[in-house]
Amino acid sequence: MTRTDVSNPVPLHRAIVGSRGRGNVWVLLLLAGLFIFAGMASIALTRPTDAQLWAGFAVWIISALGAATLLKWRLPSHDPLLLVLSMFLSGWGLVAIERLAPAFADRQALWLVISVLTMLGIAVFPQVLRWLRGYRYSLLAAALLLLAATIVLGRNPSGFEFAPRLWLGIGAFYFQPSEIMKVILVAFMVSYLAEQSATFRASSDGSAGATGLSLRLIGPIVMMWLLSMVILVWQRDLGTAMLFFIVFLLLLYLSSGDPRLLLSGALLIVAAGVVAYQLFDVVQLRVDIWFNPWPEADGRAYQIVQSLMAFAAGGIAGTGVGLGAPGYIPVVHSDFIFSAIAEEWGLLGVIAILSSFGVLAWRGMAIALKHTGSVFHRLLAAGLTMTLLVQALMIMAGVLKLLPLTGVTLPFISYGGSSLFACHIMLGLLLRLSAGAR
Amino acid sequence: MNIEVTIFLLRLLAGLSLLAFLLALFAVIWRNAGAADQQPAAAKITHGYLVCEQPPVADADRRCSLRPIVTMGRADGNTVVIRDDFASANHARIVLEQGKWWLEDRQSRNGTQLNGETITRRTILTDGDEIGIGKYRYRLHLNREDLAL
Repeated sequence: MTRTDVSNPVPLHRAIVGSRGRGNVWVLLLLAGLFIFAGMASIALTRPTDAQLWAGFAVWIISALGAATLLKWRLPSHDPLLLVLSMFLSGWGLVAIERLAPAFADRQALWLVISVLTMLGIAVFPQVLRWLRGYRYSLLAAALLLLAATIVLGRNPSGFEFAPRLWLGIGAFYFQPSEIMKVILVAFMVSYLAEQSATFRASSDGSAGATGLSLRLIGPIVMMWLLSMVILVWQRDLGTAMLFFIVFLLLLYLSSGDPRLLLSGALLIVAAGVVAYQLFDVVQLRVDIWFNPWPEADGRAYQIVQSLMAFAAGGIAGTGVGLGAPGYIPVVHSDFIFSAIAEEWGLLGVIAILSSFGVLAWRGMAIALKHTGSVFHRLLAAGLTMTLLVQALMIMAGVLKLLPLTGVTLPFISYGGSSLFACHIMLGLLLRLSAGAR
Repeated sequence: MNIEVTIFLLRLLAGLSLLAFLLALFAVIWRNAGAADQQPAAAKITHGYLVCEQPPVADADRRCSLRPIVTMGRADGNTVVIRDDFASANHARIVLEQGKWWLEDRQSRNGTQLNGETITRRTILTDGDEIGIGKYRYRLHLNREDLAL
């Protein structure tokens, strides 16, 4: 394939794509680097700044070039777009955090280095996939233990008394176990479903009426899922709980192919929403201000209203980096970073981010379709892709008031070390799978 | 240089590099989609043959090379004529669509079996499938040269 079409008439995009048709990662990285440089330079001009800003940019360059070089050398058949997109988004995240919360920027840059190194480790060493599968019960137990530990030992880095305590802290180092739980839970469900896939198929091929999903088959996953949900709900980390539930349903649907699952899942989500509305003040608040934020625009709905204002202020081209006022949105550098991007980079920036996540999702699903051999690998690629995408959609729709707000981070962009770390673990696994893991 | 001019130029650079990045991204996608489009063409299964395994028939009628539409039934105009009272006049057909072979039942009275099960809708065929009409059993051989022809 790669040799035969060299002789075809070569259109303009050949220069960008490269003769092997695998995409010239360097051109894309250069363009991303130019974009990030322009952002950093604008920040440097609009406020008194120090060397820390350029240190962040240097960290990004070294991570991007180092990762691309290493992957090209050790994993030549990987999908280069995955790395380009993740570095583009995390670089943009660095600029946005530098703009919005300069005090946190060095911490984010440090986490980026740790995350990229971890991603490379996962992508380069083939054993990781076997470990994920072989030690799934131990991994899940460890992750659950960490998650449960947040109930007793949990802290919040902000130090507010009533803020959710979802972090474990050692000195100045904080970690959010529910982020790493995402990866482990997806890997666990996938490895279990992959083992059961023969049974699924046998029972769903039989009579048309019988469902392939008896409780005996999926019981263990449901148990594990319930356990993590209880802990999450206890901790009021409802965004992550919702994310788990949606990904869980989609994985069950993928492995069984039963469309009734999606319908009943949607009904279950609505039902869970109604119950949660009665039980939790947080949910009640989120739903109320989703229906109509305006009566409380100065009070409890302040954040979402300011977010909408930011979108309106941005317009098509945005106000320019450092020239808008996204600081009116409380804690804008974390969950609401998408609104800040909409204000300062405008509709163009929003479209760029949507396209990037869209392409990421497409490449991830393409990896899942390519692996015709192993059910585990196919489902894992699909599960990881869907986790990233559903999370991105949830928060982007949330800050736009299309959906009730659920406090999850925007993958790769939002401030948050654990989130960045978890996203890069997923990306490392996808890179490994894209190279055709055995 | 005036600081406002510099900031404006930087905004221009940001906008242009963002657009260029997106364009480059879509160029890669375009290219990949093109490559993916060509892939099934290379893997297309365009030849194969049917062998009648039961009941024993004369050698001349035993094999039938697949063509884009293979009709099966009791009537004489069919590609594969089935001398069986349980076969309808126009019983079933095998069609080639986008490199895949499909088995369709043509509202036959007694149904068409694929690997022992009556099909309820058009179904994709793979190498080695057994098609059953009445008491006749046909084995499908895809992507192999028919050595007899």
